[in-house]
Amino acid sequence: MSNENKSSIVDKGKMLFGEIKEHWNTPAEGKYVPYKEYKDVVIGVGANYTGTKTLEYIGFWSSCFLIMHHYKLPYLTFSVIGLLNMPLGYISALIWWYVCDNLGFLPKKTEKKVYLVYGLMMGFGISTLLFDYSRLFDQSGSFITILNSFEGMNATACFKTFGTHFLYTGWVGARNIFWRKKLIPKYGRYKYSLYCDVIPKCVMVILIGWLPVYNIADVATRVWVANLLFATYNVFGFGNVLEECSKRISPNLQERILVRSYPVKISHIFNSILAIILPAVVGMLRHEWADINFYRFVIPITFCISAAFTMGLAGRIKERIPQPPIEKKVQIKFWDGMLGVMKNKYLLIKTVVDLIDALGNGMLPFATILYFYTFRLSGLPYSLIVALISFAGTPPDLLSPYFLKRFSYKQIMIFYQLSRAIGNVVIAVAMWTLGDNLALCGTICIVVLFFMEMTKTVPTTAGHDMGVRINDYQMYLSGERLESFAGIFGWFTGPITTFIGLIIPIFLLKYGFNSNWEILFFDGSRRNIVVIPIIVDAIGFFLMTIPYLFWDYDNKKQNLVMEVLKRRAEVTEKKAQEEGVTISGGYKG
Amino acid sequence: MSKKEKKSVNDWATDVHLDIPEDEIWTYQVPGLAAPHINKPYKHYNLKKTVFVIVILIAVSLSMFFSIMALQNDTFEYTETKNGIEFSKFSNTGYLYELDIDYVSDIEYIPGNNDPNTNFRVVKDEDKPITSVRQFTLNCDDKIKTIRIGENVEFVDTKAFYSCWALQNIEVDENNPNYCDVDGVLYNKDKTALLCYPCDHDEYLRRKYGYERELYKDEVTPEYEIDVQTYVVPATVVKLDEMCFNYANLRKIYLPEGLRRIETLAVFKLHEKVDQWGTTPSLTNIYSYKSDDVTDTHFTSEKALGEVYNSLPEGLEFIGSDAFSYNQALSYVYIPESVTYIGHHAFWDTVYKEGGELKGVTVMNVAVSEEEFDKLEIGDDWKPKYDYLLFKKAVDTAFNAERK
Repeated sequence: MSNENKSSIVDKGKMLFGEIKEHWNTPAEGKYVPYKEYKDVVIGVGANYTGTKTLEYIGFWSSCFLIMHHYKLPYLTFSVIGLLNMPLGYISALIWWYVCDNLGFLPKKTEKKVYLVYGLMMGFGISTLLFDYSRLFDQSGSFITILNSFEGMNATACFKTFGTHFLYTGWVGARNIFWRKKLIPKYGRYKYSLYCDVIPKCVMVILIGWLPVYNIADVATRVWVANLLFATYNVFGFGNVLEECSKRISPNLQERILVRSYPVKISHIFNSILAIILPAVVGMLRHEWADINFYRFVIPITFCISAAFTMGLAGRIKERIPQPPIEKKVQIKFWDGMLGVMKNKYLLIKTVVDLIDALGNGMLPFATILYFYTFRLSGLPYSLIVALISFAGTPPDLLSPYFLKRFSYKQIMIFYQLSRAIGNVVIAVAMWTLGDNLALCGTICIVVLFFMEMTKTVPTTAGHDMGVRINDYQMYLSGERLESFAGIFGWFTGPITTFIGLIIPIFLLKYGFNSNWEILFFDGSRRNIVVIPIIVDAIGFFLMTIPYLFWDYDNKKQNLVMEVLKRRAEVTEKKAQEEGVTISGGYKG
Repeated sequence: MSKKEKKSVNDWATDVHLDIPEDEIWTYQVPGLAAPHINKPYKHYNLKKTVFVIVILIAVSLSMFFSIMALQNDTFEYTETKNGIEFSKFSNTGYLYELDIDYVSDIEYIPGNNDPNTNFRVVKDEDKPITSVRQFTLNCDDKIKTIRIGENVEFVDTKAFYSCWALQNIEVDENNPNYCDVDGVLYNKDKTALLCYPCDHDEYLRRKYGYERELYKDEVTPEYEIDVQTYVVPATVVKLDEMCFNYANLRKIYLPEGLRRIETLAVFKLHEKVDQWGTTPSLTNIYSYKSDDVTDTHFTSEKALGEVYNSLPEGLEFIGSDAFSYNQALSYVYIPESVTYIGHHAFWDTVYKEGGELKGVTVMNVAVSEEEFDKLEIGDDWKPKYDYLLFKKAVDTAFNAERK
C-alpha cells in the first residue's frame, strides 16, 4: 500500500472518529439519531435478539430438547392438541384481528363486550382445570372412548387441553387490550410489550426448568399439565421488538439503512458467539443435552442476563417515523378485505405451494437426528458444524443481486424446489444404502446439507422481494395492500394441512417412533424413521415446482403496476390540492 | 437475443411510461393482469359471503372428521399373514393393566357403568389364535404391568414390547413350544436367548421379596441390591437379544461363559432412582461365571455360580452397536480374546468428568494385541469419549491386558 493510500485511510478514520465524537449526543443536521444511540442499538438489539434465540431452546414441540429428553410426550399427541385447538383458533383469530388492527383502542361499549367474551373464555378454561367435564358424559359411549383412544391422551386430558386453550386465548386477549391501551402511548407500538412481559417471562423460564412436571408418571396427565405450563409460558412474549423498533429509528431513509446495515448487523454477533458457547457448555454437562441442569441454570441465567440488558437499553432506542394518531387509524371493511385478497392470483399460487409443502409437516428435524443420533455430536464440535452449515448461505447471499438480475423469480423458485428435492433424494439414498457406515453416510449428508443451505439464501431473498411485489399488485387490484387479510388463505389451507400433516407422524409411529427418541439409536429404525418422511418431502418438493410454472408476474408487469400506482398518487394528490385538503404520506415516485 | 441481453433477464424495461387518463386511474387494466376492483360493489356480495362461510365450515368439519378418524386407534389391531394372525398394534384405553396375547380380542363397554376402570371387558374370539407379534406392537405404553403370551404364539419380535415403562412381568403359557418365561423374564423355549427383561421388573421383585417401596440409590442395602438389582443370566443362554435389558434397574448382571452374542442396545441405559424425581446410571459391574448348570436367575452366592470373574465372558464373539451405551456407573470393561465384532458406539458415554476427574470406563482393556485387534471388525466410536479441551477424546485402550 502506498503512503498516500495509507494516509488517506488514516485521514478517513480520523474524520469518522471526529464525526462520531461531535455527534455522540446530538445528531448531525438532517439526521435524527445520535451516535450514542448506535451504541445502544448494538447492545440493546443484540441482547434482545440473543434473548429471543435463547428462548428457542424452550417450546412445546416434539423436537425441543426438553420435550425430547425429559417430558417424553408421544409424537402424535401434538397433532391431537393441534386438532383440539383448531376450531377455537378461527374464532379467536377474528377477535384478535379486530383488536390488533385498532391497536387496542376500541369504542367503550365494544371494549366491554370483548372483555366479557375473554373473561368468559378464561372462566370456562379455569373451570375445566378444576373440574373433570369428561365425567358428565357416558364413559362407555363412543365420544369418550374415541377421546380415550388418542395417543397419549384420555377424555380428561382432552377436556383440560381444550379448556387450557380457552384460558390461554382469553388471558392473552384481555392482556392485549389492557396493556396496549396502557403502554403504547408511553413506549410506542413496538417495544411496549417488553415492559409488561419481561418479568413474568423470566419467572416462567425459571419455572419451566425447575417444576418437575416431566416426572408425572401418567402420560395423559403429563400431557395436559405440560400443555398448561407451556401455554402460561407463552402468554408472556419476548419478541425481537427492539430490532423492529430500530427499523423505524429515523424518518431519514438513508439513516435507517445505515442503522440496519451496521449497528443491527453487529448486534447479532452476540448471538453468534452464544450459539457457539451454549452447545460447548452443554458438552461439559454430565448428561449433555439430556441434562436437566441445562434448563435449570444455563437457559434461565442466559435469558435473564439478556433480558436485563434489553430492558436497560429499551428506553434509549426510539421510534421516530411520523404516524397518524392511533385513534385515527383507517380500517378496511372485513368482507371487502377478504374478497379483495381472494382476487390475487399470485397469493393463490403461493397458497397451493404451501398446501403441497404440508406434505413434509410432522417430519423429524433431519439435521438434529444426524448430529445427535448418527454422529453423537455435542460441545464445540456440534457448535462448529452447525456454524459451518449456517455459514454456507452467507457467500451466495452476497451474490443475490446478480442472481436476481440474471434469473426470473419463476426460474429461481423452480431451481430451489428441485434442489431441495434432489438433496433429499441423495440423503435418502445415502441413509438407505450406507446407513451402517457412519463416516461415509454422515459426510454425504453434511455435504448435501451444506449444498442445500448454499442454495437457500438467493431464493429466500427473491421470496422477500416478491412478497413486496405481490403487495404492490394487491394495491393495484384493491387500492390497499391488505397485508393482514392475506392470512385468510391460511383459513382454507389450515384444515387441509392439519390432515395432510398427520401422514408422516402416523408413518413414524408405525416404525417405532413415539415418545422415546432413543429408538433412533437403533440403525434399522433410524433408517425407516428418517428416510420415508424424507422421500415424502422430496415428492412434495417436486410437486411444488408445478404451481410455479403458472407464475407470470415479471419485471415488466411490476413496472407497469408501479406506473399505475404512481399515476394514481399523482392524480389523487393533484385533486386533493385543488380541493385544498392537506395530504401526507403520499409517494409519487 | 444477444448473449449480454440473455444474461440479465430482469434488468430491462425500467423506463415504462403509461399515459393513463385521470378518470381511468382506478380501472386501468395492465395487460396480462386482472382488472382492478376498487370502490365498486362486489357482484353477488351476500352469496359470496355465504359461500365463503360455508366452505370454511365444511373444510374445518371435514378436516376434524378425517383427522379424528386417522388419530383414533383401535385398542387391538391385527393383520392376517400367511402364517396366521399377527398382533400388530396395541393402544391402551388408559385403563388396561394386563394384556393377554392369545386370541383376537376386542373391548366391549358395559352400558350404564360410568367407572372407566371397570366399565369394559376384553372379549376374545377363540377361533382366531394369535400366531405372531409385530415389532413396536406396544410402544411407550405406561400402563401395562403384565403381558401373558398364549400357547399358539410362534413369533415375538424382539422389539415388540418397546419402552413399556410399567411392564413388570411377561408370562408365557407353559404349552407354548417356542417361548417361555423365567420368573417374568422372556426367553425362547430352550433358553438360549434372553429376549426381554421388562423395564419395571424391579417392582415385581420388590413385591416378591417383601420390600414396601423402591429404595433410592443411597438407601440401597446389600440385600436389596441382591434381591432386586442383581440378575443372573441362566447358563443355557448364548444370546442377549436386541434391547433385552434396556432401561432396567440393575446394578449387577452375571453372564454365563457360554454367551456368544450381545446384540444391539442389549444393555442400554440401565438406571435407578436417586430421589423422587431423578435417575442415575445403575449398572456398576458385569460378571461372568463358569458353571454350566445355573438356572436360578436370583443371585444367592458366587459359590453357586462356580468360578466368577470380572466383565465380559470368555467365548463372547459379538458385541452389537450401543450394547452398553450410557452406563456411566460401569467402571471396568474387559474385551476377551474371543470377540470378533464390536458395533459402533458399543460403549458410548460410559465415561464422564466430575471435578476434573475421569470416572466410569476410563480405559478399555483388550485381551489381544493391537495388531490382532486391528484385524477385527470394529465399528466407529466403539470406545467412550470424554471432554478434552472443548473437544472429545476417546479413552485409552490397554492392549494385551490381564483381566482384573
